[in-house]
Amino acid sequence: MKLSAQYSKANLVITLSVLFITGIIYYSTIAYILNIQLDRDLTEEIEEVTRHVKSKQHLPKQEDEEQTIFIKTNQKAIKRIFFDTLYYNPKEKNTIEGRAVAGLITLKGENYKIIILESKKATEYLIQVITIITLVLAIVLLLILVITNRYILNGLWKPFYHILQQLKAFNIADGNNLILKKTNIDEFEELNNAVLNMSSKVKNEYQNLKIFTENASHEMMTPIAVITSKLDTLIQDETLRSEQYTQINDIYTATNKLARLNQSLLLLVKIENDLVQDNYVLDLKDIIEEKLRQFQELIQNKHIGVIHTLQDKEITASKYLVDILINNLFSNAIKHNNVYGTIRINLTGNTLVFQNTGDEESLNSGEIFERFKKSKTSEGTGLGLTIVKNICSQYNYKLSYYFEGPLHTFQIEF
Amino acid sequence: MKLLIIEDEQGLRENIEQYFTEEGIICESCSDLQTAINKISLYQYDCILLDIGLPDGEGFTLLEHLKSTGKNECVLIISARNSLDNKIKGLNLGADDYLTKPFHLAELKARVAAIFRRKAFNTNSLLRYDEISVNLLAREVEVNGAQIILTRKEYDMLLYFIANKGKVISKNAIAEHLWGDEIDLVDSFDFIYTHIKNIRKKLMDAAHKDYIKSVYGVGYKFL
Repeated sequence: MKLSAQYSKANLVITLSVLFITGIIYYSTIAYILNIQLDRDLTEEIEEVTRHVKSKQHLPKQEDEEQTIFIKTNQKAIKRIFFDTLYYNPKEKNTIEGRAVAGLITLKGENYKIIILESKKATEYLIQVITIITLVLAIVLLLILVITNRYILNGLWKPFYHILQQLKAFNIADGNNLILKKTNIDEFEELNNAVLNMSSKVKNEYQNLKIFTENASHEMMTPIAVITSKLDTLIQDETLRSEQYTQINDIYTATNKLARLNQSLLLLVKIENDLVQDNYVLDLKDIIEEKLRQFQELIQNKHIGVIHTLQDKEITASKYLVDILINNLFSNAIKHNNVYGTIRINLTGNTLVFQNTGDEESLNSGEIFERFKKSKTSEGTGLGLTIVKNICSQYNYKLSYYFEGPLHTFQIEF
Repeated sequence: MKLLIIEDEQGLRENIEQYFTEEGIICESCSDLQTAINKISLYQYDCILLDIGLPDGEGFTLLEHLKSTGKNECVLIISARNSLDNKIKGLNLGADDYLTKPFHLAELKARVAAIFRRKAFNTNSLLRYDEISVNLLAREVEVNGAQIILTRKEYDMLLYFIANKGKVISKNAIAEHLWGDEIDLVDSFDFIYTHIKNIRKKLMDAAHKDYIKSVYGVGYKFL
């Protein structure tokens, strides 16, 4: 639920209950005051009747306005009481609400109970009018509240949404800084500053890390070059024993792997930094066919059958990166394949699919593109598929892996 | 052939010098830009191996110097920076080739030989080694006057071997030469064996002599 909706809800509940309670208080106060007014009228009335009876010595005639009822009674004294009652109005021929007073008067030694009724219609009308006015006022007030809330709140929260939007669009890898609007609300200004501070700190750290990775990888290349050259020189000595050659071979392999790891890390940094920009229009079909020739011997060596259906597909990308992408897909499909296995390559206008036989088990599709995630038997660097993924995301291609029957499938959607 | 090695990493410099020094090749070396510039103003070299990251400046300066003084030595850049920009910059400044560290000495030697051959192409397109003669223009190989048919890879390998004659070349170096460093396949050594076997057989049939000697598990030597 949105903050403004939440706020409006609370606002509505509170306003309504306050209005309701004040309405009740208002109503009862007015009713009370009007009753007092009526009672005063009735008191005057009863006193007038009493005076009339005393002076004229007979009961007065029925008057129009009020109904006066005299009842003979044996009671010696009746306390003057006021009460609400219903009575029949002969003029309007209906039962209406009224206020009445009961008292005792004495005429010629006889006691009469006197009841004077007065219509409450005027009072009720007044109350109705007041209630309607109150209700209308309440509705208007509520409407105004809701509208102002909506507009004022939206206006007030605008800087917040702006910050939120900027944060959502925040990309640690690109060089763009957050652009935050100035606001004269202290809280948002504080938030702005905090966000700016945090983002620049994060970017700095990230930049440092990248520079470190790049420098470290570069710096390592020279010592690796030294090791390689020393090994190349060492094997010239033919007095070495075969065990020593075995050792040297292992060092070669390890050094080679180290160099590859380094190159892959550097490549990843380059892709992530968007440093490879030489985009051209390339025909993917041509590239795949060329790679097919390059890998032919490696494929034949494992007696792998290749089935390919390639349609022309033009993409705009760096030849360098696309070469690496296809290389890695091929290497992957050959390396993890069985002897006498199969590779299927399918290129259409929308997708490129590489399928290969291999382990009879699906790989973890969530982890497969992660850095250094590889099968226990793999001798690779564990970066090949990560590079594939990064190149794909560089060009907004969708890369996915799934296992279909015996075929491990890598699909790129352009 | 006279060679100048400009490389600040002592271990690497010494090994390159040692590997290249043989009959007919004179190596000189230095570790900084200033000495290198002094040397090329004083002497004439056939080929220069140039490191880009030097303690007193970038190797590109030397290329600019060569260009401005109108010298036409072959230059091969050896650099730890594997960026396309650097490669293009180097080649645009007149370098003949660009090799990224780490590299095998055999690869370096083959590249230098290739550059050198290209330079000498005008005068001689025939590469001779013992009974083998390679027509570089037509990419044809003759042994004792009889042509032998080699595949593209076998031809590349033969040139590679001739450039590194008498040296033990590791299988790693051969694999990298044949497949490039983009292809990361650990089990590619088997093919080397297949190629070697074929090339050996073809040479043996024509020359009745085994040119390629296997050195334990580590590599091969072309004699």
